[in-house]
Amino acid sequence: MEKGGFMNTVILLSVSVLAVGISYYKDEMKTKKSLMMAKGMFLNTAGSIIGILMLIGLMLAIIPPEVIKDLLGNSSLFLSGLYGAVIGAITIIPAFIAFPLAASLFESGANLVGIAAFITTLTMVGVATLPIEIEHFGKKFAFIRNALSFVLALLIALGMVIIL
Amino acid sequence: MIETVKKNKINIITIIVYGVVFLYNKDLFYRGLSNSWGFIREMIEILPAVMIISGLIAVWVPKEMIVNNFGQDSGLKGKLISVFIGSVSAGPIYAAFPFAQTLLTKGASIGNIVIIISSWAVMKIPMLIVEVKFLGLPFAASRYILTMPGIIFLGYLVNKLVHREDVLKKTELNLNEIIRIEEILPGYNCGACGYKNCREYAAAIYNKNAENDLCQPGDSQVVKELKGIQL
Repeated sequence: MEKGGFMNTVILLSVSVLAVGISYYKDEMKTKKSLMMAKGMFLNTAGSIIGILMLIGLMLAIIPPEVIKDLLGNSSLFLSGLYGAVIGAITIIPAFIAFPLAASLFESGANLVGIAAFITTLTMVGVATLPIEIEHFGKKFAFIRNALSFVLALLIALGMVIIL
Repeated sequence: MIETVKKNKINIITIIVYGVVFLYNKDLFYRGLSNSWGFIREMIEILPAVMIISGLIAVWVPKEMIVNNFGQDSGLKGKLISVFIGSVSAGPIYAAFPFAQTLLTKGASIGNIVIIISSWAVMKIPMLIVEVKFLGLPFAASRYILTMPGIIFLGYLVNKLVHREDVLKKTELNLNEIIRIEEILPGYNCGACGYKNCREYAAAIYNKNAENDLCQPGDSQVVKELKGIQL
């Protein structure tokens, strides 16, 4: 899975380098301006996310995986879905780590609703990234989007149980 | 000074927390750091390219094109393009915010912004292979089949609940004005005016916290244009 992440980076970087090349050929000034903007956006986002990422890193080091497993393997489908959604909402884990983790949780007794809700809120709901979202789109947008995404994740998880 | 502390609140808290953990539990400190390194590496790998593409869109793509394809009246086609853009993109959700903000200031609808952010987060085509490998095709397929209409409906709901003005206070009104001021400045980011970069100086002028004749590399034309701008 490390390889999948690496390929993404290579493709993404090639596309952006190519785009900058074409842009530079067409208009030097505009290109310089866009790169200035990119630099500003990068520094701002990186500056506001780095502390959050490190706190999550510490949190994951404190909470043992067994605890997550127990919660997601709850005998009540609804409860394990809810726990999955909550855990997913408050943590951020890169997707290429999340899937193998989910697979190992599944093998060791977590149930499907929990896993599905976990995967969906993990990526779609971001309590940890809320400050950054508010910075970009304001409080109302951020709260409504995250709350509705949370509900949607539960619905998707329950729907999957019906399908599978 | 107070501004700097306020802006870096979370980073300062992080340093303090890590300091305390280091004193009491060195093993936990190192495990926390090694977890964090994975996240930071992902950020360094993905974020610069996403920002470069956002910057290029900001200077090159005409507003009409965004309004036509992603605007309030873009219909189902706009929604599907939004799903597509989100799902072929790489990177964690926070990388989607500046990108989506750029589209929003160019006239994309709130609903389509939500669709882009959400599909960016959960419907990643590059990640689909990984999901199938670890959780099986039925799991991945049924999740995608339920998620896609779910996301489109989510966009519809948020579009109804959140008005453009709620968000634009944060983006278009401020950002467009600030960028307008920034465009007058020479863009050396030299810091001679006392601000970190031209953007911050422009924001300070916008918020009426700074005089408009502080730019050192800028000639009299720059000062004249800054004085002429209506805030």
